[in-house]
Amino acid sequence: MNQIRLLAFAQARDALGFSERVLNVAESDSPAKIISQLGIEKPFIGWRVALDCEYVEWDAPVGARSEMALIPPVSGG
Amino acid sequence: MRVVIIFRQDALVVPALELDSRETGASVDFLGIVRELEGDQRLKGLWYEAYEPMAQRLLERMFSEVNELYPAYNVYFVHRIGWVPVGEASLLIRVQTAHRGEAFGFLSEAITRMKRDVPIWKRA
Repeated sequence: MNQIRLLAFAQARDALGFSERVLNVAESDSPAKIISQLGIEKPFIGWRVALDCEYVEWDAPVGARSEMALIPPVSGG
Repeated sequence: MRVVIIFRQDALVVPALELDSRETGASVDFLGIVRELEGDQRLKGLWYEAYEPMAQRLLERMFSEVNELYPAYNVYFVHRIGWVPVGEASLLIRVQTAHRGEAFGFLSEAITRMKRDVPIWKRA
């Protein structure tokens, strides 16, 4: 098992009720599975997910990456 | 192309004009300003947050891709984080190019891509 830092921004933080949490995950786990294990049903319309600052598919294995971020629709500028 | 990317809390200051190249024929500053009306809501300001490490990485990559389309000498990007009152700028992008076409093209494309992908959020 690895430890992964889960970051939740903007509406994700509101939905999850936290902005950061360290989780124990298997390398084969995907972001979708990790989120559902938190008791949260995925997908959230328009949310993306990033691993180590790169967008990935929800069903991609996390592998050895150390940071996962939930990215609600962005609105910079 | 020289790129400067800054996230800051305090008010934006438009820097004095500096040219990296004697070939610079266009220097365009874009200021994104917080408007009072958002839909039918009358705002006092907006709150911004960013996932800075990822935003930094995506901006660097995006600017170099846009540079392939609209060659630029340098880009100076500043985004406010935290509270920004109505009437103040939340975003400053300065781009310097040889000709105006590249500058306007660069800005338009860069802002479109930023608003689509870069992890920055605003909320009333």
